This record gives sequence, structure tokens and C-alpha cells, in this order.
Amino acid sequence: MRREQTLADRITGSAVWRSVVRHGYPDTQRNQALIIASNVFLHIHPVKIKRYATKVTYTFCLGGLSFFMFLVLTMTGVLLMFYYIPSESQAYESMLAIEGSVSFGQLMRNMHRWSAQGMVIAVFLHMGRVFYTGSYKPPREFNWVIGVLLLVTTFLLSFTGYLLPWDQLAYWAITVGSNIGGAAPIVGPQVNRILLGDLQIGQSTLIRFYTLHVIFLPLIAAFLMAVHFWRIRKDGGISGPL
Amino acid sequence: MAELANNSTAPAAQAIDEARRRKLLELVRGRALARPTDLAEDEVMVWPSLVVVEAVSAVVFLGILTILSVLVNAPLLERANPQQTPNPSKAPWYFLNLQELLLHMDAGLAGVIVPTLALGGIAAIPYFDRSPLGVGILGTSSKGRKIIAFSAVFTTVVLTGMILIDEVIGTGTQWGIGRYLQEEQGAPEWVGGIVLSALIMAGTIGVFVVFVKGIFRPTRRELIIALFTGFFVAYWVLAIFGTSFRGEGQELTWPWNLPLEHH
Ligand code: HEM
Repeated sequence: MRREQTLADRITGSAVWRSVVRHGYPDTQRNQALIIASNVFLHIHPVKIKRYATKVTYTFCLGGLSFFMFLVLTMTGVLLMFYYIPSESQAYESMLAIEGSVSFGQLMRNMHRWSAQGMVIAVFLHMGRVFYTGSYKPPREFNWVIGVLLLVTTFLLSFTGYLLPWDQLAYWAITVGSNIGGAAPIVGPQVNRILLGDLQIGQSTLIRFYTLHVIFLPLIAAFLMAVHFWRIRKDGGISGPL
Repeated sequence: MAELANNSTAPAAQAIDEARRRKLLELVRGRALARPTDLAEDEVMVWPSLVVVEAVSAVVFLGILTILSVLVNAPLLERANPQQTPNPSKAPWYFLNLQELLLHMDAGLAGVIVPTLALGGIAAIPYFDRSPLGVGILGTSSKGRKIIAFSAVFTTVVLTGMILIDEVIGTGTQWGIGRYLQEEQGAPEWVGGIVLSALIMAGTIGVFVVFVKGIFRPTRRELIIALFTGFFVAYWVLAIFGTSFRGEGQELTWPWNLPLEHH
């Protein structure tokens, strides 16, 4: 029995389509396994997982949300970079331009700002979820430590981004923040000096924070997340009742 | 509501009775009848079971974020001006807990030593608590959940109390003792700002541990639950004080009297 070929059949049967997508429609277990295994983004997942691991009330999606916000921040951040100028004399003006004359500039900035706040909260709460479900226990000790490093990186990402608008809020928050760092016993003055690149916040601080914010720390975060996610799988998937 | 509606028909009432009977049976046998296999063996395909959850939460979350971003603008004040210090000057909100501590003690202790110890302690948790008991259960057990509630209330009340006492006697004077030692006995600043402050913090945590041990006879995991909850709640209580109750000159005030918006 032959059924008539639809347009969709012809497209998905074509040589071009099949060179890209190496599995059929995922309505059989075989294809559902293939779609996970043959897609670089999906193959971060195993093919099968424990049923309880899909329960929203177990993870509250918090780790996933933290990662998702990191992605949103990366995308909106790249868009903002097209317009933002990390210069003492032009940073503030470029912020005004992003808000006033760039199409969707204000929206991009808002999304970047609010998801930055959201990420700090989500990561913190994720740590709480992992703790209260005892998910740090062996064999997951090391992933918990990686998590703590991710928390610190998230704080630093947020902190370095805070200076960039170069308004009164930014300037003085970073002044207070780096004074706290500068109060460290023994190494305090050096820490402060390394952070600011100067005796007070100025052009050298701005370019330091900018570079840390847009490339150095995101790379560190991505690196740590790669280890984090890899480890979740190597530790036997997310934890669950014994 | 649904139960009430169902009760009006006899077969439905029977079904409810049947459900009760099964629940009782479960209680007696100690496990759910409905469980097809053991939890650990019950597996599903990631596509669609997990991918759907991820996709839906991503869309919902992106929707919320977009709506929020359309409605509320990120703050942008006047151009940075190094000559003009705003009063109060505040760090970003997630560091305001440190800034709050800073008011009460030496800056190095509050801003660097305490957070370093806290983070180090948190990172070390899995190397102290290695028993697999209670994995996968929120709060470990009903006792664990009671400990969480107790620690949360204790931390909130005691911390608020300590801040208020300091406010009455003089913020940053270690309840007057530090000021007395410095002004009357000629002790150097660090005696109050570092030694005394550290003792007060360690002492408070010590009292807390004694309470938890006395009331709950906790296992190691449960004691760590108590301490972690203390940290978790202290982080937010201090941050809330810093964001919402510190006005000009870092004086305690009501949120509506705050001169400056902080985000
Ligand atoms: C940028 C920050 C982070 C991201 C993107 C992230 C992401 C994730 C994701 C997606 C999972 C899978 C399960 C879930 O969603 O809960 C997970 C699990 C886990 N995370 Fe994180 N995480 C971050 C920070 C942290 C922190 C701060 C900690 C702890 C201090 C931590 C410790 C863990 C552990 C131990 C697991 C395994 C949990 C289990 O087996 O149930 N992570 N993380």
C-alpha cells in the first residue's frame, strides 16, 4: 500500500534535509533516541532518564533557569555590545543612545538587567534546592564545589556589569563594593588596586570591568558550566530518592 | 469542591471509599500500590519527557521576562560624578548583606573574612556529610523540615534583634563593650572591631548550635541543615536590612523614607 507523497514528505526525504537531520520524526523510541544522540545541543542529555528527574517540583527548574538566563544574558549582551562604548567620556552617552535611539535598545537593556538580577537569585535558590535535597552527597561532592565556583562567578559577572552604565548608581556602588574588597587583611590595598587599575574608579577601571564582564568571566562561567553539566551525567544523572 | 459534587452520586461515593481503602492499605504496607516499579528503575525517554518540560519552562520564562522588560525600565541615574557622593551610597543589593555587617564591625572582617569563611564552609559541606541518607527528599525528613523552620525563625529573630540592639546602644560599638574598651581602657580599634565582633558572631552561632542540639538531637546532616539554613536566611535578612531599611548616613529607617532607588 503506497500513500501519496505530501510536500512535507518530499522535503524531509530530500538529500539536503537528510544530510542535516539524521533521524526520522521522533515518534518511535529509535528516533527519539537518535534525535538526542545526533544533535550536538541535545546530546548534553542522556537518552533515558529516571522519571522523578523530570518532576518540576524536584528541581524547580532552578539549575535550568540559571542556564537559560545565562543564554539570554549572552544574547542580549552581544546586542548591547554593538552600541556600548567602554570609555569614561562616552559610556554614559552610549547608554542614553541605547535607551533613546536604538530600536529595541531599551528592551534589550531591560532584559539584560532583569535577567542578571534573576540569575543571581536563581543560582542562589538552586544552591538551596541542591542542599535541601542532599544532592551534594557522594558522588556529587565535586560538582557541588564547581557549583560554589559558579556562584562566585555569577556574583562577579553581575558586579562587573554594574559599573558599565557609568551613572551615579554604578559609580558609587562599585566604589563601595571595591572598598569592601580593599578592606581585606594584608592584601587589601593590592586587591583594590588590581580591581580599579588606579587609585580611584576611572578609565582603567572601566576597561578592566568591561573586559572581565564581556569575555573573561563569561568564558570562565561557560567552562565551569561545561564541567558542571558533564559531571551531572557522570555522577549518574540528578540525584533522587534511593 | 469536587468531592462534594461527587458525593451526590452513589457510584462516585463508592469510588472514594475504594480510594480510602487503598490509601489505608498503602499505609499498612508502607508503600504506594500505584508504583509500577522501584523509583530508581522507572525510566522515561528524554525526548519527549524532559525536552518538553525544558521547552515549556523556557517559553514561559522568556514570556515573563519580556513582559517585565516592557513594563519596567532598568534604572539610569545622572552621569557618574566622582565629586558628588550620594547619601547613602550602596553596593549592589546582593552585597548589601556584607555592607550591613560592615556597619557593625571591622571592614576586613565583615567584607572579606566572613564571606570567605562562609563560602569555604559551604564548599566543604559534602566532605563532612557523606552519609547517603535522605538524598532526594526535600529537607531529608519531617524532622529535617522542623529544623529548617526553627533555624529560619531563630535566625530572623536573633539577627533582627542584634541589629536593633546595636542601633539603640550605638551601631558598631559591639553593644557598647567595644566602645568602652576603646574609650575607657585605651584598647586599640581591632579589639572591638575584630576580636569582640568575631566572638559575638561565633558565640551566637554557638548558642544556636546548643539550642538545635538540645531540642532536636540532630544527626550530622541535620545539624548541617540547621547551619546552612542559618546562613541562607541571614543572607537575605541582612540584604533586606541593607536594601530597604538603611537611609541617609546608613541610619535605620523605613523603606518609604529611602532617598534613592536601588536595583
Ligand atoms: C551558573 C550557575 C549554575 C547553573 C547554570 C547550574 C545548572 C545546573 C543544572 C541545569 C542542573 C540539573 C538539575 C537542576 O536543574 O537542578 C544542576 C545540578 C546541580 N547543581 Fe547546579 N548550576 C549552577 C550553580 C550551582 C551552584 C551554586 C551549586 C551549589 C553550590 C550547584 C550544585 C549542583 C549540584 C550538586 C547538582 C546536581 C544536583 C542533583 O544531582 O540533584 N550548582 N545545576
